[in-house]
Amino acid sequence: MEKTNDIKVSIRHLYKIFGADPQAALAHVKAGVGKPELLETYNHVLGLQDINVDIREGRITVIMGLSGSGKSTLIRHLNRLIEPTAGEVLFDGENILEWNDARIRDLRRKNMSMVFQKFALLPHRTVLENAGMALATRGVARQEYQAEATRWLDRVGLQGLGDQYPHQLSGGMQQRVGIARALASNSDIMLMDEAFSALDPLIRTDMQDLLLELQAELHKTIVFITHDLDEALKLADHLVILNDGAVVQQGEPQHILLHPNDPYIEDFVADINRARVLRVRSIMREGEIDGAFSGDVDHEANLESVIARAEGALDRRYRVMRGETPVGVLEMPDLMRALVPRRASAA
Amino acid sequence: MATYDWFFDSVGLRGWCDEGGADGPMTMADLLAKTRGQETETSLWDVPFPSLDALHDSCKAVPQSRDLTQGLEAGFLGIRDALRVVIDPLTQPLSWMLREMLSLMTQSPWWIVIPVLLVIVWAVARSWKIVGFIALMIGLLAFVDHYHEAMQTLAIIFVCAAVCVIVGVPIGIAMSRSDRMQRMVIPVLDMLQTLPPFVYLIPLIFLFSVTEPKLYGIAIILYAIVPVVRLTDLGIRLVDKDVIEAADAFGMTNRQKLFGVQIPLALPNIMAGVNQTIMMSLAMVVIASLVSAPGLGVLVLRGIRNLELGVGLVAGFGIVVLAIGLDRVTKASLARIDASQANR
Repeated sequence: MEKTNDIKVSIRHLYKIFGADPQAALAHVKAGVGKPELLETYNHVLGLQDINVDIREGRITVIMGLSGSGKSTLIRHLNRLIEPTAGEVLFDGENILEWNDARIRDLRRKNMSMVFQKFALLPHRTVLENAGMALATRGVARQEYQAEATRWLDRVGLQGLGDQYPHQLSGGMQQRVGIARALASNSDIMLMDEAFSALDPLIRTDMQDLLLELQAELHKTIVFITHDLDEALKLADHLVILNDGAVVQQGEPQHILLHPNDPYIEDFVADINRARVLRVRSIMREGEIDGAFSGDVDHEANLESVIARAEGALDRRYRVMRGETPVGVLEMPDLMRALVPRRASAA
Repeated sequence: MATYDWFFDSVGLRGWCDEGGADGPMTMADLLAKTRGQETETSLWDVPFPSLDALHDSCKAVPQSRDLTQGLEAGFLGIRDALRVVIDPLTQPLSWMLREMLSLMTQSPWWIVIPVLLVIVWAVARSWKIVGFIALMIGLLAFVDHYHEAMQTLAIIFVCAAVCVIVGVPIGIAMSRSDRMQRMVIPVLDMLQTLPPFVYLIPLIFLFSVTEPKLYGIAIILYAIVPVVRLTDLGIRLVDKDVIEAADAFGMTNRQKLFGVQIPLALPNIMAGVNQTIMMSLAMVVIASLVSAPGLGVLVLRGIRNLELGVGLVAGFGIVVLAIGLDRVTKASLARIDASQANR
């Protein structure tokens, strides 16, 4: 899990305005005109507003927001399916907005693959041909990509279905093909646009587990879009919350949960089962443990398991372990306090 | 004294009118008025619309309506030779193709032509039922001695429909890729579709000699090309935007996208267009018999001209049988394509 904290892609001061004359509207936005006013007075839609996000290599960055918050627009800037109005997208330090078409095509073929909400498989090609689509696009012959495509189909649990057509599969299986297609391209970055939103809840959980399992093995750089906070908290190493085209808060998901900096996010996290989402490491007191303790807990354990272990008693303290080393102490009263959402206004 | 004299007098154009007073030949109306003797004062009730002819009565410098039609004719005859220099060589292959196809299908013995046709039907439709139906249909036509004419009609349709597809599909693709192209082509298609077929036979007769097959070939193609162009354009535009986006996201070039995604997914619509094109060329091949297209249409025409009811009806029935056959075969191939992508 310990990988370098290299920044793979970084988005700098990105603006996207939809309308007849975006550049003129951009000047208004920079002068402080808000989204509703821009729409009403100048008839332009403010899609994204001064976005700054760093996407770290080998981590899952989740971009979360409700529909209309601009999250799908944002992810399409990373491989330039949408051109920004202003700003930079740096890939390994190079601004891809200055690249020509051929270079962008190369980026899309080799460095960034994408998984779509509505699967977007080619209906007239078999599952195997769909999985090998990225390689076929590069000009690899079928005999050569067949082995690679079959390997990834097996890996996502679709053994022996290579000769079927996509419409013969269920939604969940179709999205597995979509994931196999992205993996078979061997790109280091995977863009996932609401990849699991169209699936029913049980299948969605399966797919999330599959993704985490694959990620533990492959360490891809993943950008994941979702409107579902539970999903975001489950997958995210780094969470970016968008509202009305602007970043409201970003950071480590546990941190956002414990320290929301905006009423919008407070509302968002209010309905979360905190005991299941919060981890011991986020609320423990770090440092040497002094005095007696009732037992050891793992630093990644969630609070629910600790409460069960304490049988509801408030007078327990636990030593927190990371592997074999003690890293801190957990007091039950701290745990109880963390279960109640903290209001930024009250703090 | 004509009705609109006061107008030209009051705006001071009288001089100009009298200058241009080279009088053409009299119209029939003038002649009648002259024979009747005197000019009568027109009452308010009879005031004519200020048309070219009415204005001409008052002012000889204004042209008559017949000058318009004559001018058009003279203009067309004027550019005809220049047009022929360009269009004649361009369309010559059409004449060759039609002649070759006609002689191939009518000169070859029936026991070769019919099996070959049935093999083609099998290759396209993959259904023994359809093959049997077509065999029955050709057998029926041949039994009442309409085999030769039916083959002529089929030969013309094959050539013209093939040309329609070869020319129409690329035009449709170009339309689907550029809104400007679409805006330019659609009025032309609308015109081709609404212009009565007889009307564009007229300039074609002036342009080419009636003995040349391309005369009716062009007429049929102009009439029948519209659906395949429209449905190709529509089919490609209807391809799922998400799939196109996926193709973009995986770095497909425009060419890969067109041949690997757009055309295969638009194929059901394109095939529907081909079906319509074949049906419309069959309709036109009957009208084109007016300008020497051979086949069943000639017999229908004979039925009308000579009031030979039986000849006309049998030939008309033969055309219906051909139409049903062609429709069944193309629909069967359409269904086959649809089945392979049933989820769309």
